[in-house]
Amino acid sequence: MKLVTKTILYYILICIPLLIIATILSFKLISGAVNENVNETLLSGKIKAQQIIDSHAEPVSLFLDYDSLSRITIDTTNGQGSTLHEIFKMDYAEREEIKFRELKSYYNKKGTNYLITITKPMLEEDDLIENLFTSLLIIIGFLVMAFFIVNWFISKTLWNPFYKIIKQVNAYEIKNKPGISFTKTSTKEFKQLSIALNKMTEKIYEDFIAQKEFSENASHEMQTPLAVIKAKLDLLIQSPNLKEKEMEQLQGIENSVNKLSYLNRAMLLLAKIENSQFIKTEEVNLSQLIEKVVVNYEDLIASKNISFKKNIIANYIINMNPVLCDVLITNLLQNALRHNHNNGEINIELTRNKFIISNSGKRLTINENELFGRFKKNDASNESIGLGLSIVKSITDTYGFSVEYKFENDLHTFIINF
Amino acid sequence: MKILVIEDEAELRKSIKEYLYQEGYVVESAKDFNVASEKADVYLYDCVVVDITLPFGSGLDIVKQLKKNGSGTGIIIISAKNSIDDKITGLDYGADDYLTKPFHLSELNARIKAIIRRKKFEGNNIIIANEINIDPEQRKVSVTGNEVNLTSKEYDLLLYFISNKNRVVSKNAIAEHLWGDSADQIDGHDFIYTHIKNLRKKLVEKGCEDYLQTIYGIGYNFKINK
Repeated sequence: MKLVTKTILYYILICIPLLIIATILSFKLISGAVNENVNETLLSGKIKAQQIIDSHAEPVSLFLDYDSLSRITIDTTNGQGSTLHEIFKMDYAEREEIKFRELKSYYNKKGTNYLITITKPMLEEDDLIENLFTSLLIIIGFLVMAFFIVNWFISKTLWNPFYKIIKQVNAYEIKNKPGISFTKTSTKEFKQLSIALNKMTEKIYEDFIAQKEFSENASHEMQTPLAVIKAKLDLLIQSPNLKEKEMEQLQGIENSVNKLSYLNRAMLLLAKIENSQFIKTEEVNLSQLIEKVVVNYEDLIASKNISFKKNIIANYIINMNPVLCDVLITNLLQNALRHNHNNGEINIELTRNKFIISNSGKRLTINENELFGRFKKNDASNESIGLGLSIVKSITDTYGFSVEYKFENDLHTFIINF
Repeated sequence: MKILVIEDEAELRKSIKEYLYQEGYVVESAKDFNVASEKADVYLYDCVVVDITLPFGSGLDIVKQLKKNGSGTGIIIISAKNSIDDKITGLDYGADDYLTKPFHLSELNARIKAIIRRKKFEGNNIIIANEINIDPEQRKVSVTGNEVNLTSKEYDLLLYFISNKNRVVSKNAIAEHLWGDSADQIDGHDFIYTHIKNLRKKLVEKGCEDYLQTIYGIGYNFKINK
């Protein structure tokens, strides 16, 4: 829910009971005042009636108004005092019951007891309630409308910097920029927010760079000791005194050293791609490049007796770093080859905007989404180091290509959309 | 044949020296830029093996210096950096080859031999190992005059063995030589074995003595009289 909507909702929730209370209160106050006014009118009517009685020498009995509601009658019951009460009477003209207030007062003059009845319709009171409610409704309506307009205006202007900040944070890609430079705002809170976010992103960027440099440097530093081990092994195996058992041990060491150096090279490559060290792009003839890579793997493909089909359009030119382009195709082909079985198949297709490679092989045991993750291996015992597809992903990300994986017709299929 | 090894890592320098010495080269070494620069100025080498990152300077400047001197020295860069940019710069400066650390000494040896061969004989040489003749220019092999039909990989394999004759060459080194960075694709070494078996068969069919010895499980030795 938007902040503005929420504010309005809370406002309405608080305003409605308040307005109801205010309505009740004002109704009480106003109707009290009206009642008092009526009572006063009744009393003054009574006094007028007494004056009329006084002004007549003879006892009188008469109506004081045209509809004979207020009148002076001679009382024979010897009543005393005065009573005030409400009565309902049919109004013939309007055909509805109307509330009246009636004052009955006894007045004694020279031995004659008079009953003075003064009646006033209470129409005003009903009107009052009606009017009050109407006006209150109008007020509430206006207030809500005003509030919506004010809030809309506020969110448009006051909150605008905030929305801009959100937009900038969302658009932030750590790979490209060392922190966000936010649009200037005059609101103190938003200034603080953008300063805090700026500091945060700068720190993240620094850490990101440091981490990237670390992995590159670490890989670099490892090359020399690995070179020493490899060289020493090469010398050691020249020794004429080695027994078969010892040679086996050496073989084990050598295999591990080799694996370590492949791993190291792959990590270095990955770090370099991510550190954007392959910036130079040129026109690469992808069709020729694919043919070249395929030739390089021909005997490996043949050794597994894999049926290999390719369908490549001629002279497809792509703007890429030639090294990365080579690595991309090589890694995909290696992947198709490594995770294949004997007598399997590999199909390669290059169209105007797609490179598709598919291979037979065991079904995935890992989640498809993890396929491009680092050190994610489908088969833990496999010789693979688990970085090949991460490198593919890293390269396609660099050039904004998308790479999809599908398992169709028992074939693992990778599609690169240029 | 005189070779200069410029490498700051003592153990690696020692190992390279030892391997090349056993090959019959006169090997000198330099542990930093200053020593290397001095030696490169004073003596004439057939081949210089140079690391890029050195104390007090860059190996690339040694390459420049050697080229300026106009000597026909072969130059191989060995570097931990395998960035293509370094490779291009090194070769632009006039280096003949580039080898990324870590490498096999047999690989370095084969490359040094290839460079010296190119430099000294300008390609007009035939490599002779007893009854085997190899024409590197034509990539042709003959046994006592009879041409042997080898595949490209088999040819590379034979040349590699002959470059490292009488040395134990590990299967990993062979795989790396034949398939480069893709060598890690070769799960197990049956695949190399197939190539070796074919090569051996083709040579023996043409009447060649079987020089190739299997060394336990680790590799092969092409044993041939020096």
